[in-house]
Amino acid sequence: MKQLAGSCVIVGMGRSICKRGDPEKKTPLQLMVEAAGLAMKEAGINRTQIGAVFTGRMPRTYCSLQYNQAVLNELKIVPTFSSEVTSHGAGALGTIEMAVLAVQSGMIDYALCVCGEASPLWIEMVEGSANWEGDLQFEAPYGATTPSLYAQCAQRYMHEYGITPEQLAKVCVENRLWALDHPQAAMHKRGPISIDDVLNSKMIASPMRMLECATWFPGGIGSAAIVTRANLAKASPVKPTYIAGFGQCSTHEWIGERMGFWGVEPVTDGPNLVRTGASVAAKQAYAMSGFNPKDVDIVQTSAPFSFLNVLILEELGFCGVGEGGRFVESGGVDYDGGLPFNTTGGYLSFGQSGQGLYLLKEVMDQIKGCPEGRPVPGVEVGLVHGHGGPNACHSVMLVTGEPLN
Amino acid sequence: MEMSDWAKGLPLRAGENFLGLYQPSPETAEYWEGVTRHEFLIKRCRSCAKLHHPRRILCSACGEPGMDWVRASGRGTVYSFSEIHRTTGIFSPATPYVVGIVALEEGVHIFTRFLPEEGAADKDNSSIRIGSAVSVEFQVLEQGMLLPVFRVGGE
Repeated sequence: MKQLAGSCVIVGMGRSICKRGDPEKKTPLQLMVEAAGLAMKEAGINRTQIGAVFTGRMPRTYCSLQYNQAVLNELKIVPTFSSEVTSHGAGALGTIEMAVLAVQSGMIDYALCVCGEASPLWIEMVEGSANWEGDLQFEAPYGATTPSLYAQCAQRYMHEYGITPEQLAKVCVENRLWALDHPQAAMHKRGPISIDDVLNSKMIASPMRMLECATWFPGGIGSAAIVTRANLAKASPVKPTYIAGFGQCSTHEWIGERMGFWGVEPVTDGPNLVRTGASVAAKQAYAMSGFNPKDVDIVQTSAPFSFLNVLILEELGFCGVGEGGRFVESGGVDYDGGLPFNTTGGYLSFGQSGQGLYLLKEVMDQIKGCPEGRPVPGVEVGLVHGHGGPNACHSVMLVTGEPLN
Repeated sequence: MEMSDWAKGLPLRAGENFLGLYQPSPETAEYWEGVTRHEFLIKRCRSCAKLHHPRRILCSACGEPGMDWVRASGRGTVYSFSEIHRTTGIFSPATPYVVGIVALEEGVHIFTRFLPEEGAADKDNSSIRIGSAVSVEFQVLEQGMLLPVFRVGGE
């Protein structure tokens, strides 16, 4: 795996946003092909040079399977390697991982990764999402909602490690502060929140309250990246971002049946709901890159609930197992002085938009010193965590602005 | 809306609250037939006797296919739970109600609806906690389906 570390780079990144209320309402396909165009332009390449196209899962408002075909059809690219990467939300970073394997093998030179969603512009998200992630046969008939599925993990996490509601609320408060600085964030103009605000917000699915649940990004985001080998990047017009390490781990499909699973990391000793594939993905990414958590200057996670943000900090190695609550409580991810964590505002305050590479873009922009929101000085190594399913699939990626030695 | 079931002749119901169909599939049809008789069934591996969730096709212990249905005691404890305060559609009037995972005596975990102990005040779910002893009952829930549910105490 180590031969992959820093072997590939992102030489172009594009993002297209459409917000609710914009004069033109765009489809996810529009946003994605616009983003792809921007990425190709930044990389200084044209469609004939692209050997592979990878897309994340289809957008919910364009339910065509093999969405990669829709994208390459529109862009008139004729790839020799192409796939939709469908490990739920973790598939977005998964596209970059596939791209690295494809270009590093020498099979192709340039891969285009494209992801996007625009559901809030086109469908009623709360109504349509109530039990989107449930097992239709064994969970949905009980009236399970998506938050209530994640809440099974939250309840066990708090129970097993003594994590308090105040500790979980703290992460929401810190996320919000970053969003106030980020012009694209859903909560940009909504002002700061306090721990009491979180604890007094209305209960959604115990133990999780309204301000502990992700807000939907109020629109659509398409994002795209061009991946190539580091040696080919010499011709690139922009400074490349090096892919230092990555890992992925998927553990289940339905939360109810996750409990029938053991004997392999992250559930070695018996079934549980408190460890996730993120720890496995992170170990792999660290091992590939040679970095460890102390080297990481900035972290973005796609955790849609307060408890998962805290738990993921453990899984990524920023604190010990079960210590996430105390870590956050003692200022571990404070807006002032803590680990720069969810610097867009995160899923809780920037908003959740499925299948995005926009968290990767945030890290790349911070490394280059040109973020849209509050700059974090001196970022050399950034970590992005992608997640999907009810805690089912996790991807971790480490990137740097300089080549690895 | 009803259609004939491709598996065992059970009715298929298009759910208004979820995107898709509730459909007993060949590997779970006997579970749902058991429910109609108020019997709570789980699977047992024909090769190694490991007990499993009714969904299992392959034994996760020995890897073999081939499962028998056995009747579970219907007793267990609350492994995890969530009291739902906000939902949509047909389930809304039932809030707050509790869904969760029951740890059956037999060592199998399954998703369910938890009910508070008999005699609890209306909407008082406080008797449902991690570790609470529960036992199975069969109730028609909001969508009109007969389902196994677990009540604190009971029997």
